[in-house]
Amino acid sequence: MNMILKIAAKEMKEVLRDGRFRVLSALCLVLLVVAAFSGKRYYDFVNAQHKEAAEKERLNWTSQEAKNPHSAAHYGTYAFKPKYPMSLLDQGVDKYTGVSIYLEAHVRNEAQFIAAQDQTGLSRFGDLTPDFVLLFLVPLLIILVGFNAITRERESGTLRLLQSMGVSPERLAVGKWLGIMMPVILLTTISFFLAALFLGNLSDFGELSWSALLILFGVYVLYYAIFSNIVLLVSAWVNKSSIAFVILLAVWMVACLGMPKVVTNLADQLYPYPTQQEFMEAVNEDKKKGLDGHDPWNDAARKLEQEVLAEYGVDSVQQLPFNFDGYLMQKGEEHEAEIFFKHYEHLKEIYEKQSRLYRNAAALSPFLPARFLSMAMCRTDYHSHWHFSNEAEKYRLEMMNALNMDFADNSRYGDWSYKSDPELWNKIQPFDYTPPTYASVLSANTGNFVVLVVWLAVSFGFVVIRCTTLKP
Amino acid sequence: MLQAKNLTKVYNGHPALANVSFTVNPGEIFCLLGANGAGKTTTINLFLNFIEPSDGEAVIGEWNVAEAPLETKKLLAYIPENLMLYPNLTGLENLDYFSNLAGKKHTNKELEAYLAEAGLQPDAVHKRVSNYSKGMRQKVGIAIALAKQAKVLLLDEPTSGLDPKASNEFATLLKKLSTQGVATLMATHDLFRAKETGTHIGIMKEGKLVETLTTEQINHADLEKLYLQHMN
Repeated sequence: MNMILKIAAKEMKEVLRDGRFRVLSALCLVLLVVAAFSGKRYYDFVNAQHKEAAEKERLNWTSQEAKNPHSAAHYGTYAFKPKYPMSLLDQGVDKYTGVSIYLEAHVRNEAQFIAAQDQTGLSRFGDLTPDFVLLFLVPLLIILVGFNAITRERESGTLRLLQSMGVSPERLAVGKWLGIMMPVILLTTISFFLAALFLGNLSDFGELSWSALLILFGVYVLYYAIFSNIVLLVSAWVNKSSIAFVILLAVWMVACLGMPKVVTNLADQLYPYPTQQEFMEAVNEDKKKGLDGHDPWNDAARKLEQEVLAEYGVDSVQQLPFNFDGYLMQKGEEHEAEIFFKHYEHLKEIYEKQSRLYRNAAALSPFLPARFLSMAMCRTDYHSHWHFSNEAEKYRLEMMNALNMDFADNSRYGDWSYKSDPELWNKIQPFDYTPPTYASVLSANTGNFVVLVVWLAVSFGFVVIRCTTLKP
Repeated sequence: MLQAKNLTKVYNGHPALANVSFTVNPGEIFCLLGANGAGKTTTINLFLNFIEPSDGEAVIGEWNVAEAPLETKKLLAYIPENLMLYPNLTGLENLDYFSNLAGKKHTNKELEAYLAEAGLQPDAVHKRVSNYSKGMRQKVGIAIALAKQAKVLLLDEPTSGLDPKASNEFATLLKKLSTQGVATLMATHDLFRAKETGTHIGIMKEGKLVETLTTEQINHADLEKLYLQHMN
C-alpha cells in the first residue's frame, strides 16, 4: 500500500508540476464558474417568472365571478414546473420540455413555453453549462494529462530503470491510476465544493438535497475513473505518445460526441415518435367513437343514460337525484382522460424502447449512462418531466371532477343557468407538485449504475493485465 | 552470485546469443567486451528479465531470473548506458522514489549521504534533473544502487560518453563496491577501463563468449592484441 501511494504521489507531483494540468484545470474551473453564473441568471429569471405567474394565475382562478362550474373548467388554470437548484449543474432536457401546462376541460395539453423556442437559431451552437464542462471537457483533460503516463516512461527510458526495481506490476498499475485520478478528484472536489457553496446560497435553498449532490459527485468520479483506466490502458499498450494521443482523442470523439448522436438517430429510425399532428388525429379518432360530455345524443351517451336510469329505477333523467348533464360531463371527461392516458402510454412505450437502446449502447460508451444519471440526479431528465406531466394531469382530473360534480349535485337537469358560489374556486387547492423521491430516482437508474460499475471493473482489469505483461 | 548457464536467445531463427556460460562471484567485476551486436546488452537484458531466454538460464543468487523476476530484481541494481530519470523531479526526489520502489525506507539525510558517496555535488541535490549532465545522472544511478544495497550490479556501457575524470570516479566507486562483496557485470567498449577496474574479462563475438580470462593474467597491450585478434 505504501509503495502504491509513493508511486501515486510521485505521479501526482509530476502532473502538478507539469504546466498542462494547471492550465487546463484552471480553464475548466473558469468555464464552470462562468457557466454557473449565466445559469443562475436564467434560474433566477425563470423562478421569478414562475412565482409571479403562479400567484397571478391562482388569483385569476379564485377571483372568478359566480359562474357555471363547467365554464370555469373551460376557463382553466396553469400548472407550473418548479426549477430545482441542481438543474443549474445539468440542464438536461429542460430546454426542450417547457415550463407550464395549461389545465382545461376535455384536453390534456403539452407543456408550453419551451426555452429553445424563445431563442434564435444561433442557440444551436449550444449553451455553456456546467454539465458540458463536466461531461465533455474533464474527460478531455484526463486524456491530455494522462495520455503519455506510460509511453513517456518508455520513450525517455525511465521504464527500464523502473522495471529493474522489482516493483510488482499490479502496484505499478494502481499507483499510476491513482496518480492520474487524484488530481482529477481534486479538481472535481473543488468544482463540487464551489457548486455546494453556490447552490446552498440560492435564495430558495429548500429544494437542494445534499445527498443528491454527493451522489452526483460519485457519478462523475466513477465516470472519470473509467476514463483514467482507458487512458492508462492505451498508454500502456502503444509505444509512442503521439499514437496514444491520437487513439485517445478518437475514443473521446466516439464515446462523447459520436455515440450519443448515432444512438439518437438510430432510436428515431427504429422507434419513431408520432408527430404532434398524427398524435392529435389518433386521439380525435378515439374521441369520436366514445362518449362526449357536451353531446347527449351520441350513442355512448344514450347508452350511459339507459344504464343510469336502470340503476336508479326511474324513467327519465329529470327524476334522477342529480343533474344528469353534470354527471355526463364528468363521465365524458373521464373517458377522454382514458383516451389521452392510452395514447400517452403509447408514447411512453416508444420512449422506453428508445431508452433501452441507449442503455445497450452504454456498452460502447460510458458517456451515456453518466449522462443519464447526471440528468436524473438533477431532476432534468425526461422521466422527471413525465412525472410532472402525469401529476398535472392527475390534478386536472381531480379539478374537473370537483367542478362537474358540483354542477351535477347542486342543479336540476336542463338547468344550464346554474351558477356556483365563488367559494368553490377557493375550495379547489392550488397545484402543489412533489417530485419523485431520490430513492425512486435511484432505483429507476440502477441499470445505469450497474453499467458504469461494470465499465470500471472491466477497464481496470485490462489495465492490470496489460501492466503484468509490460516490457520496456 | 550471478550465473549464466548456456544462455541462448534466438530472434527469428537468428541467434543473438548462443550457449553463453559464466559466473560472477561476490566481489568480482566481470567485464564483457565485444563489438556492437555481439550480445552484451542481450545478456544483461536476460538477467533483467526484460527478454526471455530461448534456452539456458540466467541465475541471480539462488533464483532463476525467468521464474522469479521480482525476487531477483530485489538483489540487483541496473545502470544503462544512458540512465534516464524523471526530469521534473530533483535528484533527491528521484532517488527517494526509486529506493521506495525497491522497498527501502531512508531518511532524506541518508539519501543525501548516498548521493554524496556517489559523488554528486551537494548543490545539485535539490535541483531538477532536467538540468543534470549525463555524468550527474549516472551518479544518481550509483546512489540508487547504494540505497538499494544491491548485491549485484548490471552495467551496460555506463562510462561511455563520460569525461575521463567522471569515468575515473565511476571506476573508483565500482572498486569500492566490489570490496563490499558486490558482484558486477559490466558491458563496455573501454579496454583500458576493463583492465583497470575489472577482475575478469569476457570477450564476445557474434553471440558467443569466445574468451574468458582474469585481468591479472594479462597486460594492457596483450589484451588489446587478443581483442583485435578475435574481432578480425
